[in-house]
Amino acid sequence: MRITVCWKWVAVDGADPDDRWAGVSPADEAALETALTLAGNGGEVTVVTVGATGSDAGLRRATAVGATHVIRVDGEGLGARDVARAIAPIARGSDYVLCGDYSLDRGTGAVPAYLAAELGAAQALGLVGVDRTRVPLRVVRRLDGGRREILDVPTPAVLSVEGAVARLRRAGLAETLSASTATIEVVAGPRPAEHDVVVTPYRPRARMLPPPSGGTLARVRDILDIGAAPAHGDAVTLDPPEAAQRIIDQLREWRYLPRDTA
Amino acid sequence: MIAVIPVRDGVLPAGADEAIAECDGRAVVAGSETAAVELTGIAREALLVELGDVAFGRWAAALCAGVAELGTADVILCPHSPDGRDLAPRLAFTLDRPLYAGATRVTPAVVQLARAGGRELHEVHPAGAFVATLQPGVRGVESFGEPPAVRTIDASDVEPVAADATVVDVLPPDARTMDLAEARRIVGGGAGLDAPVRFEMLAAFAAEIDATIGATRVITDRSWVHHDKQIGTTGVVVDPELYLAFGISGAVQHTAGLGSPDHIVSVNTDPHCPMMAMADLAIVSDANATLDELLRRLGGLVERPGG
Amino acid sequence: MADVDVVVVGAGPAGSTAATVLARAGHSVILLERGPFPGSKNMYGGVVYPRILDQLHPEWWEDAPIQRWVTRRSTMVLTDDQALTVDFRSEKWGRPPYNGATAFRPDWDSWLASKAQAAGATLVCSTTATGLLRERGRVVGVTTDRPEGDLRADVVIACDGVNSFLAKDAGLYGEVDAANYTVGVKETLGLPKEVIDERFAVRGREGVDIEILGGTGGVNGGAFLYTNFDTLAVGCVLKLPALAAQELRPEAIIAGLKRHPAIAPLVEGGDVAEYSAHVIPEAGLAMMPKMTGDGILVAGDAAAMCLAAGIWLEGVNFAMASGIYAGEAAAEALAAGDPSAAGLAGYERRLEDTFVLRDHRKLRRAPGLVLSDRVQHLYPEMIANTVERMFRVDNPAPKPGLRAIFNSERKRAGIKLADLARDARDGLRSFG
Ligand SMILES: Cc1cc2nc3c(=O)[nH]c(=O)nc-3n(C[C@H](O)[C@H](O)[C@H](O)COP(=O)(O)OP(=O)(O)OC[C@H]3O[C@@H](n4cnc5c(N)ncnc54)[C@H](O)[C@@H]3O)c2cc1C
Ligand SMILES: Cc1cc2nc3c(=O)[nH]c(=O)nc-3n(C[C@H](O)[C@H](O)[C@H](O)COP(=O)(O)OP(=O)(O)OC[C@H]3O[C@@H](n4cnc5c(N)ncnc54)[C@H](O)[C@@H]3O)c2cc1C
Ligand SMILES: Nc1ncnc2c1ncn2[C@@H]1O[C@H](COP(=O)(O)O)[C@@H](O)[C@H]1O
Repeated sequence: MRITVCWKWVAVDGADPDDRWAGVSPADEAALETALTLAGNGGEVTVVTVGATGSDAGLRRATAVGATHVIRVDGEGLGARDVARAIAPIARGSDYVLCGDYSLDRGTGAVPAYLAAELGAAQALGLVGVDRTRVPLRVVRRLDGGRREILDVPTPAVLSVEGAVARLRRAGLAETLSASTATIEVVAGPRPAEHDVVVTPYRPRARMLPPPSGGTLARVRDILDIGAAPAHGDAVTLDPPEAAQRIIDQLREWRYLPRDTA
Repeated sequence: MIAVIPVRDGVLPAGADEAIAECDGRAVVAGSETAAVELTGIAREALLVELGDVAFGRWAAALCAGVAELGTADVILCPHSPDGRDLAPRLAFTLDRPLYAGATRVTPAVVQLARAGGRELHEVHPAGAFVATLQPGVRGVESFGEPPAVRTIDASDVEPVAADATVVDVLPPDARTMDLAEARRIVGGGAGLDAPVRFEMLAAFAAEIDATIGATRVITDRSWVHHDKQIGTTGVVVDPELYLAFGISGAVQHTAGLGSPDHIVSVNTDPHCPMMAMADLAIVSDANATLDELLRRLGGLVERPGG
Repeated sequence: MADVDVVVVGAGPAGSTAATVLARAGHSVILLERGPFPGSKNMYGGVVYPRILDQLHPEWWEDAPIQRWVTRRSTMVLTDDQALTVDFRSEKWGRPPYNGATAFRPDWDSWLASKAQAAGATLVCSTTATGLLRERGRVVGVTTDRPEGDLRADVVIACDGVNSFLAKDAGLYGEVDAANYTVGVKETLGLPKEVIDERFAVRGREGVDIEILGGTGGVNGGAFLYTNFDTLAVGCVLKLPALAAQELRPEAIIAGLKRHPAIAPLVEGGDVAEYSAHVIPEAGLAMMPKMTGDGILVAGDAAAMCLAAGIWLEGVNFAMASGIYAGEAAAEALAAGDPSAAGLAGYERRLEDTFVLRDHRKLRRAPGLVLSDRVQHLYPEMIANTVERMFRVDNPAPKPGLRAIFNSERKRAGIKLADLARDARDGLRSFG
C-alpha cells in the first residue's frame, strides 16, 4: 500500500516567525499516525510538505517515526490551489492521501478537497474516526448540527483527520539521531502569485438582527449588543452550597433541567 | 452572486441562511430531498437541484455542467459548513476559478477573510469570477418575508465522474461530541478555576445538562483544554441559548464570540466584572467550590475526577 | 561500547557551554533537551552577565540575542507607601565588552545551543533523560523516554537544572530541605518601546535593572523589574516556607507589587503577555552536592550554583562558567582515559579557583541575611522613615540631627543595637 501524508509546517500562533516556535498541527500528526498504521509493514508512507527550509525539521521528525520517504516542495505563501497542485504529482499513484483537518495556523481546509479534485480521487474530510480493519475503509465524518456521517471510502481517496483520531508515536532514540543528519529531498515549487492583500486586525462584522419584537427597551438592548439577555438582577453573594442549589433551581426554572432533579 | 447550498435529506447546513442573504436571496439548493427544504424568508429565488446522496465529485460535475447560472455568476458562495467547505474547492477546481475560503464578507469586488486563526482580517480585491465560502455566524440575517420563487432540476441520474465515498449512515447529534460552534448549551471555564482537573469536573457537570464545555484563552493557552474549546474572537464563535460562566471575567475578546444567549449564569468572586454584568443570574462565590457542590448535587452518579 | 564520548543532559546555559567545549576538543557529544527546543521551558528574571563567554565566544555581543544592555541599575527599598532608590547608571555598560543584558531564555538558550551544534555537538530535543545507566557503581550513560532510548557514554554531565533528578539519582545530594528553595514568579508586560524608553529614561538598546527589597506582601523575599525591548519583566522571588505560611498566591503578590505607588506608574497599561513560575535553589554553598562521581559531573543549577543573595540574582553566568569547566575537566579525563571521579577532579579545582565558588563563599551569609525577618520587615521601615524625616521640612520645628532620627526610628522599629551591629558586620563581609 502506498500512502502520501501532507504536513504543513507553521509558526505557532502569535509567536515570532521562527523555526523554534513552529510545528505541525495535532491533526497533521494524527494523519501520519493513521497512515503508518494503515500502511503496516511493507507499506510505503511518503510525507510531503510545501514550505521553506524551516520545515525540514518537521520532515526529520516524520522520518524518525517511520516515514519511508520525505519530500519538501520549496515554496512559501502559496494558496491552497497551488499547494495542491504542487503535491499532486508526488501523491499520484497513492492508495490514500492523508491530510490534517486543519493546520496549525488554521488555514481554510481547502487543500485536501483540491487534492482530491486534482487526483480525481474520492474525498472524506473532517474525519473523527477511521476503522482500519475494514475493506473498503470505513470512516466517520463530522457534519454540522452535531451529526456524524459514516462513509465507505474506495481507493484512491484523500482523507483529512481531526487531531483526536490518533496520537503520533514517539520516535526511537537511534532513529531520531540518524534523522537529525539525514538530507531532505527538496524539489522546486511554484512561486506565489502576487496578491494585493490588506491585512488588518480582526474586527467582527456588524451582525444583522431581526427587528426586535419587544418595545423600546429591547431595541436599546439590541443596539447596545447585549443581545437577547433579559434584564437581570444584581449579583447575589452565596456560599458554594447555596450557589449550587441556586443554579440548579434556576436551570430547572428555565427548563434546562427536568423539574424533578436533586 | 449566487449561493450554492449543499443539503442532505432536506436539512440545510449551518450558515445557509447567511450565505443566501449575502447573495441577496439567490440560491442553488443542491443535494438530496431538496423539495423538503424550508426556504420561506431565507431566499428570494431558489433553484432546487436534486442530486441524490452526497458525493462531492459527482455533485460538482453535475452542478457545473447542468446549472447554467453557475457559469455566469460572478460569485459562487457556499457556507463554510463541513459540506460547503468540502464542495467549494471542487466547484472552484471544475470551473477553474479562484477560491476564497472562510470569508466574513463577500461582494464581487471585495472579499474579507478571517485569517491567522481569526486574529487577522485579509481584504482582497478579486480580478474576476470566483468561489468563496462564508463563515457561519458572522453576518446574521433579515427575513425576505415571502416564500421564494422556486425552479427544480433533477440531476440525480448524473453519472459518477470521479470515485466518491459512499454514505453508509448519518448519526444524530450527541451533545457530548457536538462541535462547540453548534452547541445550544455551553458551560465555560476561565482563570477563576484553579486546576486542570476542574475542566474534567466542568465536563461532568456539562454532561448532566446536555451541554458542551468551552474555555477562555487564558485556559487554552495553558493547554488545560484544547484550543478547539476556546470561545471568542480568536477561537470559536458560538451562539448558545444557555451559557454558564465559571470564573470568567468577560473580556471583550471572549464575549464577542458569545453570540446572544437567552440565559447567562456567571459565578465569580468579583461582582463587578463584565461577565457578571451580562448575567441573568450573577452569583458571587468561589467557582471551584460551587462546582464541587454542583457535582455533589446533580451527580449522585458522577464521581469527582481526581478525588 | 559507548555510543558517544559524552552525554550532556539539559540544553540550558550550563549544558550548551559544556557541549561546546567538548565538541571543540574533538569529542562526540550528544546534548539532550526535554523541551521542543532549548530554552522553551526555561524562565528566569531576565538579566544575564555574559562576560564569562569572552574566551568561548569572543565578541559574543555581535550576535547574542539580547533585548537591552543594562546601563542603569537601581536598588529600591519599599514600604507600604514609601520608596528609597539608589540609582546608578554607566555609559560604559552600553558598549563592548558590556556588563549585563536583558534577554529572553528561549532566544538565549537556543543561541548558546546553536553554538554547541556549530562546534559539532548533536542536539536532541523533546527527549528526557529518565535515569542513569550504571555498571559496577560507575555511571555509563542515561536512559531516555524514547523507545530503545538508552544512551551509553564515557561521561555524563548533568545540567538538568534545579532539583536535578540525575544528580540525586547519582547519590551526589544529601538531604534536601524545602527551606533552601525560593520560588520565582514573573509577569511579562507588553508596552511600546517608546513608552519604556520614556518611563525608564533610556534610549536605543539601553535598559534598566531594578532590584527591590520589600513589596512582597509581607512574604520574605525580593522583587525585580527589568526592561526588555518592548516588554517589562516584573516579578518576585519568595521564600517557600514563608509563602506557604501566608497562604498568599504568588500572582496576588505580583499584583500588589504592581499597585505600589512607586511601581504602578512604571508598569501602568502593560498587557500581561506571559506568567511563569520556577523554583530557585537559594541556599548556595550550604546545599551544593558533590560535584563529581565516577563517570558523572554536575553543573549549573543542577549543582545549586545559582547565586540568589538579595540584590544579586545570578545563575546563568554561574551555569555557563560551570558548564565550561565541566567540559574542560571531562575533556581532560577522556584524554587521560580516566573518567572516574579522580580523573574528573579537574572540575572541582576549576570551580574553587574561580568566581564560581569564590563568590558563593564570599556571599554565603547573604541569603540568610537578606531573607531574615529583620532585613525583610524592620529595616525597610526604619530606613525609609529615617530618610522621610530627614527630607521633611517641619517648620517651625528646626531640622533634627540624622543620628537622632535614626536612633528614634531604630527604637520604634524595635531593632536592638546588637542585632543591627551583627547584621551590619555580616553585610559588610558579604557585600563589602
Ligand atoms: C488579540 C486577542 C485575542 C483574544 N482572543 C480571545 C479569545 O478568542 N477568547 C478568549 O477567551 N480570550 C481572548 N483573549 C484574551 C482576553 O483578552 C482575556 O484575557 C481572557 O478572555 C480572560 O480570560 P479569563 O476570564 O479566564 O481570565 P481573567 O480575565 O483573569 O479572569 C478570571 C476571572 O475569574 C475570577 N475568579 C478568580 N478566582 C475565582 C474563584 N475562586 N471563583 C470564581 N471566580 C474567580 C476573577 O474575578 C476574574 O473575573 C484575546 C486577547 C487578545 C489580546
Ligand atoms: C524567577 C527566577 C529569576 C531568575 N533571574 C535570573 C537573572 O535575572 N539572572 C540570572 O543570571 N539568573 C537568574 N535566575 C537563575 C537562572 O535561571 C538559573 O541559574 C540558570 O538558568 C541555570 O542554568 P542551567 O543550565 O543550570 O539550568 P536550566 O536553565 O534550568 O536548564 C536546564 C535544562 O535542562 C533541561 N532538562 C531538565 N531535566 C532534563 C532531563 N531529565 N532530560 C533532558 N533535559 C532536561 C531543561 O528543559 C532545561 O533546558 C533566575 C531564576 C529564577 C527562577
Ligand atoms: N503547505 C502545505 N504543505 C503540505 N500540506 C499542506 C500544506 N497546506 C495545507 N496542507 C494540508 O492541508 C491540511 C489543511 O490545511 P489548512 O487549510 O491550512 O488548515 C493540512 O492539515 C495539511 O494536511
